[in-house]
Amino acid sequence: MEQKSFFSAPVKYDLTFAKEIFRLKNGAYIKQCMNCGMCAVSCATKDVMDYSPRQLFNLIKLGKKEEVLTSNTFWSCTSCCTCKARCPRGIPIIDVMHDLKKHAIERGYTDYPQSAFYKAFWAELCGRGRMFEGGVTARYFLNRGLDEVVKAMDMKDVGISMLKHGRMPLLPPKKIKGLGGLKKIIRKARELEQKEARQ
Amino acid sequence: MRYSYYPGCSSEATAKANAHSIEAVAKALDLQLEEIPDWNCCGATMASGVVGDFTQLVLTARNLAIAEAKGQDVVTGCSSCYLTLAVANKKFKEDAHFRALANEALAADGLQYGGTLRVRQFLDVIINDVGLDKVARQVKNSLKGLTVAGYVGCQTVRALPYEFDDPEQPVFMDRLIESLGATAADFPMRARCCGSSSTIPARDIVLDLGYKIFQSATAGGARVIITPCPMCQLNLDAYQSLVNRKYGTNFNIPVLFFTQLMATAFGLSSEARAFKYNIVSPLETMAQFAG
Repeated sequence: MEQKSFFSAPVKYDLTFAKEIFRLKNGAYIKQCMNCGMCAVSCATKDVMDYSPRQLFNLIKLGKKEEVLTSNTFWSCTSCCTCKARCPRGIPIIDVMHDLKKHAIERGYTDYPQSAFYKAFWAELCGRGRMFEGGVTARYFLNRGLDEVVKAMDMKDVGISMLKHGRMPLLPPKKIKGLGGLKKIIRKARELEQKEARQ
Repeated sequence: MRYSYYPGCSSEATAKANAHSIEAVAKALDLQLEEIPDWNCCGATMASGVVGDFTQLVLTARNLAIAEAKGQDVVTGCSSCYLTLAVANKKFKEDAHFRALANEALAADGLQYGGTLRVRQFLDVIINDVGLDKVARQVKNSLKGLTVAGYVGCQTVRALPYEFDDPEQPVFMDRLIESLGATAADFPMRARCCGSSSTIPARDIVLDLGYKIFQSATAGGARVIITPCPMCQLNLDAYQSLVNRKYGTNFNIPVLFFTQLMATAFGLSSEARAFKYNIVSPLETMAQFAG
């Protein structure tokens, strides 16, 4: 009988993508993952995730760019902090997930409805300095189109009861007085963040 | 006792009941809440997903920078605001490199933050500054006979683990319930997630988690759920009918802010109890206690 080699053929890893992710603000923490799976058993939304956080980190290390950026894992994260509180290696997993959301948006991976919702939220914040839920919802549906509106029709009862109970003002709150200053701060912060990322 | 108060955006819309009841309960307990002038949105857990956490922490810190001159603890009644404010504050205290960079950004509008304040959840203030003895002395309508599920949720106890309670097995909400004369339900889901802002873009997440939370609360005999978090309250209250539709259940359990329950026990006005904002009506359940 032919003696098979104990070792399989060497796999070539392309580390370009992994390095790109490790350079994100909290990306380097991914290297600390030891694949214990505590995040997976702790996660509130693991059942709907394509990959658990642990699996996603593995795919990043393997350079599986498309699988990672098209997965719904980070979009399903609700920032409940359970994994972050439990991770034995101290990885701030929710912060890594936020970085991945930002990275996916910047790279044009915006198929998931959550990305439209996040962008709508940010646009509202910048426009007024305070959040107006009605505005976020309107921007979201404008971005997602009629299909999404039709899918959300059974939500109309929720909307009506919110209106009836005085919890959904139709007019937005006033802009904050310091909106101009807040925008300057945001612009400067983004500039500094980009400068840091390049170093 | 005086505090700088950060109401958060939900106080003006979906969580008016939170704002009204917090302000009334604070007054009854001699706490002075002074609103931070011209406060801005903290960015919740969303902004960092678009612009990154540095920018988010800086825009959150604008509020702390404005509040710093007074030197009072910053208190908020929203878990998401608490998370972002408390994490930003911790970064300013502990990370000199971050502090220098963040102050460079704040300086674009002439602001600076030295990291000298404390950020508190209103629940923490009630437990640790006021104390449950004083709370118990304020009770005019004892809630004896009412079983309450104390739903703490995620961010209140996990923003900064062990800051004032256990991140996984929190106890203070239950002690507060008992101090009002009510019984705390055995409620294993007390610190699990409600689905947060998935309501609009991925509603099933919220409905599935809500179902588990209602099951757990009702199995423990609860007739009311209380929470410190506007997002949890919204998801469990406004979407309860959709949970029933999806699962063929008939949950009809009012979801109150813990301060609404306190206002009831303290015998405060109907404006303070703010039940009119609740979609699943608490009137019937609370009638015998609302004096």
